[in-house]
Amino acid sequence: MDRRHALAGMAAMFGAQLFTPLARAAGLAPAMPVIDQGAPGIQVFTPPQRALMTALSERILPTTDTPGAIAAGVPAYIEKLLADWADVEDRDPIISGLAEIDARSRQDYTLAAIDATPAQQDALLTLAMNNDIPDGWEFFEAFRQMVIAGYYTSEIGMTQEREYLPVPGEYDGAFPYSQVNKVYSA
Amino acid sequence: MASTDRFDAIVIGSGISGGWAAKELTEKGLRVLMLDRGHMVEHQQDYTYDGRPAYDVPARNMMPERLMESDYFIAKHGYVSPSNQAFHNNDRLNPYDYGEGSKFYWIRPAAVGGKSLIWGRWSFRWSPADFEANKREGVDGVWPIGYDDLAPWYSYVEKYIGVSGSRENLPYLPDSEFQPAMPMNVAEKWMKQRLETAFPGRKMINARLSNMTEDKPEQNRTKCQFRNQCGNGCSFGAYFSTQAVTLPAARATGRLTLRSDAMVTNLEYDAATKKVTGVRFIDAKTGQAEVVQAKLVFLNASTLGSVQILMNSRQPGGGRSHFDSSGTLGRYVMDHIFRVSVGGDIPGMEEFIEYGRRPGGIYVPRFRNIDSADDVGFKRGYGYQGSAFRAPAWPVGFGKSMKEGMRRYGGWQFQMGAFGECLPYKDNQVVLSPDKTDRFGIPLMRFNVTFRDNELRMMADAREQGEKMLRGAGLKNVGSKVREHVPGDAIHEMGGARMGDDPRASVLNKWSQAHDATNLFVTDGAQMASISCVNPSLTFMALTTRAVDHAVKSLKAGAA
Repeated sequence: MDRRHALAGMAAMFGAQLFTPLARAAGLAPAMPVIDQGAPGIQVFTPPQRALMTALSERILPTTDTPGAIAAGVPAYIEKLLADWADVEDRDPIISGLAEIDARSRQDYTLAAIDATPAQQDALLTLAMNNDIPDGWEFFEAFRQMVIAGYYTSEIGMTQEREYLPVPGEYDGAFPYSQVNKVYSA
Repeated sequence: MASTDRFDAIVIGSGISGGWAAKELTEKGLRVLMLDRGHMVEHQQDYTYDGRPAYDVPARNMMPERLMESDYFIAKHGYVSPSNQAFHNNDRLNPYDYGEGSKFYWIRPAAVGGKSLIWGRWSFRWSPADFEANKREGVDGVWPIGYDDLAPWYSYVEKYIGVSGSRENLPYLPDSEFQPAMPMNVAEKWMKQRLETAFPGRKMINARLSNMTEDKPEQNRTKCQFRNQCGNGCSFGAYFSTQAVTLPAARATGRLTLRSDAMVTNLEYDAATKKVTGVRFIDAKTGQAEVVQAKLVFLNASTLGSVQILMNSRQPGGGRSHFDSSGTLGRYVMDHIFRVSVGGDIPGMEEFIEYGRRPGGIYVPRFRNIDSADDVGFKRGYGYQGSAFRAPAWPVGFGKSMKEGMRRYGGWQFQMGAFGECLPYKDNQVVLSPDKTDRFGIPLMRFNVTFRDNELRMMADAREQGEKMLRGAGLKNVGSKVREHVPGDAIHEMGGARMGDDPRASVLNKWSQAHDATNLFVTDGAQMASISCVNPSLTFMALTTRAVDHAVKSLKAGAA
């Protein structure tokens, strides 16, 4: 009999009279789990991996007339997601994909991928997208979706790249598309 | 709180029906104690994420996979997200017997207000034929009441809560007391006209919703603002919830005492007088048990929560429930069958788009077996809920071209899902686990509920007819999906303590009153003897107000 069961037995023994801290210890009043929003609980990436992940996120959603992935905080979102929120095994294709891209960069350009030019990084991502490097597609699609999710749920993504209507106040089911300047955030 | 004279009535559960019971009982002059196992959520001030965009909600309002798998593995089928996590049951802390029996998703709330904070808000009256179907078809479970018994109570409830919808004069889907409908969009109007022309007798109508289109200043409620973030809690009070509607009314009487974190374990019973003599609950914060007493008890703990409490009210040693002299308690459990969706592309009209985020959409009412049995190979029928919309384009690739591509909307799409009526089967049953209990010592619920041939044939028809209607209306790329059929998934579970005239074959009489206890009323989904194919909550509200009226009249006449 472990401690928790022993205490639960005590709860039955004392019935209504159980002292509150004992009731808590017996598991009668467990805390509801909260979503951890602090710093990542583990270091998912080594510093070079983090630098490459950051650079590639910006290649997926680059700065144009609106800010890109880095300004929108996408790299930090991805690291937090992989550290604490997503399934542990979801890290694997990202870590191994970054290694494969780096290896291919050293082969093609005799440069670490992080030192490659943006055009070369685009070429490396294209190889991954076309599955022309080992497990490239698995990395590309997972990474692309994480970047898109992180970007379009960021403040920049929702309010600068797109338009957010906090309180539309009315519904028009035949609103002229010509008056839509930006896609509306959900 | 052991004194016997503080309360005239105890309401167990504060959800859709419990809130109504508390409002009606207090307004009729009774002093009411309302108990809820959940934590307190106050209107407005405890809607932590109301009005917050995704970047202001933990994890961007996408439920972390690891937390979902550890704590919300059933709630995930009920649309749990970080912004409404506090309203959803924690499946690790409050389990049922997951491993035994048949697969069932028992989706439960976690807070005062119950499912009124997480419901879909579609609100329909049942039709006369719905109440008559079991009798007409010789199906076990004749209803002791008909539409006319409930019609005035539907009106009473609808006028108070505010239901938006369109008058259609359909005998098989009676109109409510409507506020103006939320309009169809341009693509839905196009589709309605073509569908109704191509399929005479079939209709596509506006959604019927408890989201208001007119203010109710006397209730401090403002009409829907088209945010479509209802699940976060709505500080405008634009849709029906306990917090926005029934709780303020009950509190205004000065006769309501509300205890949150109060887990009712069982009802104490005196066989000689056939009365409930006490309600036993455990304070979830302290573990302390208390027994409270009142002349009347309304059990509104949700369909299966109420059944669990009834089943756990028995002699020590695990005998039959005090309320199960009929042997039907826990039987005839039903849920709508849900998992067929059809969709397609609506051509043209790309010069228009939607402004504002409308909750709801359109409804295709039941068209099968309406006047007489069609030769369709199954009993009863189904309706579809859906909408037309335009979504942002989803280009392939990456980089500047992808970012530019995502600045456009795609064309109009349409999707709808079917809700089918499930028949009552005696052996679709819930029981208490013989050996497993939760942290309060309550035996875990075990499910043996499966859909049968009639439901599966109905869904095959819903798929085929859905595709046919969409093609017939002129949609392109029409397709359909059928996913796993798991009972509970529609979150329309009903039955288990059904109504009937015969005390040997039902748990409750026509007043939602226990055959075995004159002072006990069960007015949530547990009382249903069949389930129609329309969303049930409005009917629970109407049945509750009717039962309270009867109970209080009886009490005042000295009969209860």
